[in-house]
Amino acid sequence: MWKTILRRLLIMIPQLIILSLLVFLLAKMMPGDPFSGSINPNTDPKQIEALRRAAGLYDPWYVQYFRWVGNLFHGDLGTSYIQHVPVTSLIADRASNTFWLSLLTTILTYSIAIPLGITSGRHQDQWQDTSVRIFNYITLATPGFVFYILGLWLFGFTLGWFPISGSVSASASGFWGVLGSRIYHMILPAILYALITTTGTVQYLRTGIVDNKVEDYVRTARSKGVPENIVFHKHILRNSLLPIAAFLGNTITGLLSGSMIIESVFSYPGMGKLFLDSIGQRDYTTLTALILIFGILTLIGNLLSDIIMSIIDPRIRIQ
Amino acid sequence: MYPRWGKQSMKLSKVLGSVGVVSAAALALVACGKSGNSNGDAAKEASKFPAATPKKPVKRGGSVSIALETDTPFTGIFSDELSTTATDSSVAAPAEESLFDTDDHYKINDKGAATMKLDRKAKTVTITVKKGVKWSDGQQVNAKDLEYPYEILANKKTQAQRYDSTLEDIEGMKEYHEGKAKTISGIEMPDGEKGRTIVIHFKELKPGMYYSGNGYFWESAAPYHYLKDVPFNKLQSSDEIRKRPLYFGPFKVQKLVRGQSVTYVPNKYYWRGKPKLDKIVISVVNPNSATQAIKSHKFDIAGVLNSQWEQVKDTKKINFVAQVPLAYSYLGFKLGKWDAAKGENVMDKNSKMNNKALRQAIGYAMNLDAVNKRYNHGLSFRVNTLIPKGFGDYHDNSIKGFNYNLKKASQLLDKAGYKKKGKWRVQPNGKPLNIKLLAATGSAIQEPIIQNYIQQWKKIGLNVSLTGGRLAEQNSFFDKIQNDAKNVDMFMAAWSLASEPSQGSMYGKTSPMNYERFVTPENTELLEEMDSQKSFNHQYRVNVFHKWQKYMYDEAFVVPMNNSYSITALNNKITGYSTKPSQNNNGHQLWYQVGYAK
Repeated sequence: MWKTILRRLLIMIPQLIILSLLVFLLAKMMPGDPFSGSINPNTDPKQIEALRRAAGLYDPWYVQYFRWVGNLFHGDLGTSYIQHVPVTSLIADRASNTFWLSLLTTILTYSIAIPLGITSGRHQDQWQDTSVRIFNYITLATPGFVFYILGLWLFGFTLGWFPISGSVSASASGFWGVLGSRIYHMILPAILYALITTTGTVQYLRTGIVDNKVEDYVRTARSKGVPENIVFHKHILRNSLLPIAAFLGNTITGLLSGSMIIESVFSYPGMGKLFLDSIGQRDYTTLTALILIFGILTLIGNLLSDIIMSIIDPRIRIQ
Repeated sequence: MYPRWGKQSMKLSKVLGSVGVVSAAALALVACGKSGNSNGDAAKEASKFPAATPKKPVKRGGSVSIALETDTPFTGIFSDELSTTATDSSVAAPAEESLFDTDDHYKINDKGAATMKLDRKAKTVTITVKKGVKWSDGQQVNAKDLEYPYEILANKKTQAQRYDSTLEDIEGMKEYHEGKAKTISGIEMPDGEKGRTIVIHFKELKPGMYYSGNGYFWESAAPYHYLKDVPFNKLQSSDEIRKRPLYFGPFKVQKLVRGQSVTYVPNKYYWRGKPKLDKIVISVVNPNSATQAIKSHKFDIAGVLNSQWEQVKDTKKINFVAQVPLAYSYLGFKLGKWDAAKGENVMDKNSKMNNKALRQAIGYAMNLDAVNKRYNHGLSFRVNTLIPKGFGDYHDNSIKGFNYNLKKASQLLDKAGYKKKGKWRVQPNGKPLNIKLLAATGSAIQEPIIQNYIQQWKKIGLNVSLTGGRLAEQNSFFDKIQNDAKNVDMFMAAWSLASEPSQGSMYGKTSPMNYERFVTPENTELLEEMDSQKSFNHQYRVNVFHKWQKYMYDEAFVVPMNNSYSITALNNKITGYSTKPSQNNNGHQLWYQVGYAK
């Protein structure tokens, strides 16, 4: 198996090269550049030109590309054109915000989705199942931004239970104060986000349980007199969790990519928001760095998923 | 013309939305407004809102929370020399103070932290900072602090966007900028670095120098003793600028959450007196939440998005104050190209829009008042000329503007030989006339407004369609305008103006921002005359401005469209807040006098 992992890692290299080239060229092809938005009656266009030249924006694309790649190897993702700080520090800042929000969201998602999926599958076609399925259709059909804004309006503004923007309150101080404030800021977005991302998990789990219930090995177990509880938990449930495990790798790496929509609605400074902003502002350095990171995360996520699957499911162990 | 940009309309929510005065980009899309009345008289309109909160006795103490409505986290470059966005200026406002105060028409007076004297014979400007004006660490602001901003601006290592060739009117500036000189020879410190005076030697003095925002000299100080150890190339990202800035304004930064919020506490060394408030907290709010932020009283001060006025106007326990910013939206005609090699605009005699009757007709066919009434809740109004009322005498009242008049528009076209051939008019030379309009995406009402204008033009037989068939995304909009893209015959944009009224940088022969590429000897002469030595005579200068406005109106290379109120909602217990230029320090709210009523 180690060989396989190594091989997969090696294949990632050309994939990343192609990705980086695409990313770089597509970014450059967007109309405008980081300076075109700063032209106003109070800036001197000559100075803007000089800055463009100094930033190397007029060099041929391959010169710019190799300069960028060269810097990458030194761990230098460049300096943000807009924020004027190193991209690494910017991303580190945002990644930690996103990580904690996503982690909370994921925990909440699973703790809502798994019981619902089990209930639904176990009590197939009974009222419990129907309620869960109605819930599922609603969450599937609700557009995220509408749901988030509604939640923000209700719990943030009208009831005033939760903060409406940011990741930490301006008045928080001390370690515990800041930590508390951070968690307080995450709760509402995490709950809202978790509530409408449960759909897939619930559905996979329910289908898995429904399908496995009638499998031969279940009948065998039952006929051997295995107690129903054990049949369910050991035989049915474990096998039904496989599809969810298949996504686990991407879920783990996805903790760092964030969500553009929820972060925008809550003005939560995470990776998704950073990505969106850097597109709008043509912040090339940040944008290319982010896409590259997202790309790497996806590749690693897929690899992780495969590894996890091969560990828990001997049938598909890779040769 | 720069130091003031984005400041004179120092609303704490510079967010685009309504006016088309956009934060990071002055050139923005248009979003009109309404003024029910037909003459679009800005002064009359302004009386709809007070310019300041009611005057009441103020008590000490209390904290004010301010919503900063922006959909991107603020950059947080706490330096007037290096910051580039209006959002950053808003964020820094409680701590930052400019050297000069002004009267209501932006003329520099002696009430501020420093005084300024022009000596036309010696060609010098002498700036003296008052005794007792101290940085928030207790140090007196000195001559070196007045000089240091010029080094920050001009040294290439800082990558300051605000360096401007206008500054090269200062002796020795260019040499320093190019690295040929170690110091700026034209800035003298007669009493040494610890003194309080600098004398700036110019190649020539300009009449605009009496006004704030003129760009010939800088209007802020930088704490040299605090910044001297930071290398220029590290300045923009240094903690001294990004985390622990030093200012001489009424408040100082207590705590900063990058991109999200800033907490201010009083600067006990503040020269005008002790601030009334204990604390000011500015935090970022998504513009989508702006209305709710006001209605739910989560903030004490928040900018109003004009498009959401109907929802907030009846909120209780709120006072609204407003200001008419120095800004306008306009329709510009592409009449030529920018010649990068020569560095000048070249007009194309054969360009489609190079016919003033056609341009005037297009202007007369725009039902601006109706659009404002229908879409903008009475918060926008038509402007008739390119010099806003806020400039006082320089504004020409007699310009009638393009009053909606389809008959007149048709007559103009008939006379000029644009005959109807079937449904549409053709060019005088018989070729078909298809006019491409470039406009950027914006608020939800942008699309119907543009379609309405296209319908109006259709009524006079002009075939106008959008460039590319739809509204352009902001970046591509800039790109097309700046690079004279094909398929753009006219465009809708907006300018936010500096507070010195000269027009050369926007409509001059050598200005790349003259996006119309309109160049005529008359225009060049008038623009130059605005800054000539003769114009030191106020009446003479006023006459030149009036002449130019008449000329601009006649040539119609730009059709001025609208301006809108910039409205702020305040907790009704707050007093001492004003939007009047004379009650502000160069666009900075005088925060030391703002407080809660007893």
